[in-house]
Amino acid sequence: MEMEEKEKDNETTRPSNARLEVCDQRVKIKKWHAIAQWRWDTGNNDPEDDGEGDVCGICRVPFEGCCPSCKMPGDDCPLIWGECTHVFHMHCLLQWIGTASSKQQCPMDRRPWVTAERKVD
Amino acid sequence: MSVSTRRLQKELTDIKRDGTPVGIELLSAEDFATWYLSVEVLGNTVYEGEKFALKFRFDNQYPISAPAVQFVVDDHYTAPVHPHVYSNGHICASILGSEWSPVLSVVSVCVTIQSMLASCKKKERPPDNDRYVSHAPENPKKTRWDFHDDK
Repeated sequence: MEMEEKEKDNETTRPSNARLEVCDQRVKIKKWHAIAQWRWDTGNNDPEDDGEGDVCGICRVPFEGCCPSCKMPGDDCPLIWGECTHVFHMHCLLQWIGTASSKQQCPMDRRPWVTAERKVD
Repeated sequence: MSVSTRRLQKELTDIKRDGTPVGIELLSAEDFATWYLSVEVLGNTVYEGEKFALKFRFDNQYPISAPAVQFVVDDHYTAPVHPHVYSNGHICASILGSEWSPVLSVVSVCVTIQSMLASCKKKERPPDNDRYVSHAPENPKKTRWDFHDDK
């Protein structure tokens, strides 16, 4: 998971100025708002990509959403990578691998599914 | 909403937004249990000028389980005369059986069947057509297919 933090402070002051002025004790920061954003590191770092194309091949729901059986995206509905580099919602892949007809093969390339320790580059 | 309904809803949205490949048209998708699509083989093939209809039936495990797919045989449509298509509309194609994968879709199945027809050189029925049709189950998924060739 990649974390990205953004600070947001009062509208008229830029963050760098704010810090400077705190040192001079001319401005007191009364409150601040932290905003964090996360996304799965699927290897698709194209800034032009709005993420819509990055969907689980089984359920067709974006990786940033959760599999159809879950309600909330996050650590409870993780992604799973195969050594073949293909990635799915873990729940979707396990449902497939659990069937006899899957023959324990990756849905994309039909090679025997071997779960990778982490994202395969 | 079941998993199959959500997945089919997405496929339907994609079809309505992006259209279907040339020669393939959505005839009806009134619910998430049965869809009909038409397939034409364009260009110079043995099926020139013919139009077929495919019936898709989905259970609530789709796309983990394969859809039941067959050609429509009624007053308007017939099954193409092809070595892997029985006269009752049942299709012997590995991707509908043991080679099904949940990353396939309604449109990708249509495209596969379209190309199966396009590569046909000689119109003939499977050698065991009459024997199969006389005792075939209503649902082609209940048939234990033996995939001969075209691997």
